[in-house]
Amino acid sequence: MFSVINSEWFKLRKSKVLFLLLVAPLVGLFIGLANSFIEIEGINAWYEKLIMMNFTYATLFLPLISGVFAGVICRYEHQEGGWKQLLALPVTRGKVFLSKYLVLILLMLAMQLMYLVSIYLVGMIEGITDPFPMDIVWKSILGGWVATLPLIALQLWVSIAFKSFAAPFAINVIFTLPTILVINSERFGPYYPWGQPFLMMNISGSTEDVFFVPWDQILMVIGGSFLLFFIGGYLYFQRKAV
Amino acid sequence: MEYIVETKHLTKSFGKEKAVSNLEMKIPKGEIYGFLGPNGAGKTTTIRMLLGLMRPTSGSVQLFGKDMKNSRIEILKNVGSLVENPSYYPHLTARENLEASRKILNVPKKRIDEVLKQVRLHGVANKKVKGFSLGMKQRLGIAAAMLHQPELLILDEPTNGLDPSGIIEMRQLIQSLPEEYGMTVLISSHLLSEIDQMATRVGVVSKGKMIFQDSIETMRKFAQASIQVRVNDNEAAWRSLLANGQKADIGEESVTLQAEDDEQVAGSIQYLVQQGFSIYRVQEEKRSLENIFLEMTREEQAG
Repeated sequence: MFSVINSEWFKLRKSKVLFLLLVAPLVGLFIGLANSFIEIEGINAWYEKLIMMNFTYATLFLPLISGVFAGVICRYEHQEGGWKQLLALPVTRGKVFLSKYLVLILLMLAMQLMYLVSIYLVGMIEGITDPFPMDIVWKSILGGWVATLPLIALQLWVSIAFKSFAAPFAINVIFTLPTILVINSERFGPYYPWGQPFLMMNISGSTEDVFFVPWDQILMVIGGSFLLFFIGGYLYFQRKAV
Repeated sequence: MEYIVETKHLTKSFGKEKAVSNLEMKIPKGEIYGFLGPNGAGKTTTIRMLLGLMRPTSGSVQLFGKDMKNSRIEILKNVGSLVENPSYYPHLTARENLEASRKILNVPKKRIDEVLKQVRLHGVANKKVKGFSLGMKQRLGIAAAMLHQPELLILDEPTNGLDPSGIIEMRQLIQSLPEEYGMTVLISSHLLSEIDQMATRVGVVSKGKMIFQDSIETMRKFAQASIQVRVNDNEAAWRSLLANGQKADIGEESVTLQAEDDEQVAGSIQYLVQQGFSIYRVQEEKRSLENIFLEMTREEQAG
């Protein structure tokens, strides 16, 4: 299993797209610095920055970039018969699928950590003196990552199915853009998988919960869509003729 | 007999179309098996099923006496393959392409240099494969197939895109594999001349069906020369030969002798002369393997 992940990482690393990981954290950094902030007495100044930065990052860039990477990790297999070559080696399709998935989610975790650095940098540059609210920031970083897991599974499925790079990307955009509207809906917001990264990172969400959304929403919506997309993609790949 | 490859009633349908139909392929150990057939006969589909890239509609595939369905991984550890067009990662160099497979196959790094030398790509090992010619990509594919020194090498149209000297090199390489490494090789081609020069066994496939499978010698026997004799009265001569107990066929303008050696030919001619026939022509007609191949596939298409 490790050897398959190793090979996957090797191919991805050499494709020179890893710099894309920096895009989202840099955008976050830029947004954090571009908005002048008004200090409100009694409220931790970090909160204001976090709310501002998280919004664009979580509704747009996190889902979009994760989709791009899912596309890239399948693109070089589609291009010149890579699937044939890979699957004629002594590996099970399950391991190939799982390896690609694991590499993707680890990359997204790395991106989340870089975003964490962005947040801290903004605070440093702006000279925020309030204590860094680590207890809520880590929830936001980790929660955002967990909420992306089902989206990555779906994007991997779609990217395996379509030979073109554009089709999965278009699908991703189509589902990501309405997020801004859907999250404002009390009724649909909690059930829209593409809205979950924002809701999980939204530090102004409910404070009684461990994360910023109730546990049953995490289990039902994120857990449920993860199972659906992951198992769907996994089974699809098992049957796919190459 | 121990077969390295054995398929039973192998069938693959795409909708109503049967791409492969009841195919029984048998490849004994150490042979170079030429898998011959016109384009679209089902060669690549068969090979994909041999590698487990595609599921058969019905029938079974056994490699090394193990069933593909249950022991795919175990089997593939001993199989190297090049399927259809060469497969590669365009964004990687030749060496990196092999490295990506090597990590999965778990063979020592020095194998990469060894196979690159075998296919004469060591000079361009660090160049991106994107810029390679078709022949170079093809050779890289063969290098990748040999990386783990498999017991069975499956090469689909391996000389596609190679120039004449490349073809000769490839032929020599393939021919040396059974002796040097005890490999069994399956090569597919639509060119009979290519198979004729390399293979020790031949399987001819047409419209998804195996229409001939035997040693290359047996196939060559079909190609043996026949002697055509034209006399003043062909039919009378033919009857006379048959009456004398010699095998002969009557054609439109000549009598064809089915003689096994020169002595027999001499005897038949002498006999005809003694019977008072005027002999106008005695000529040898050689049926090329190409003709036999064409006839075989044509019969199949007509039937």
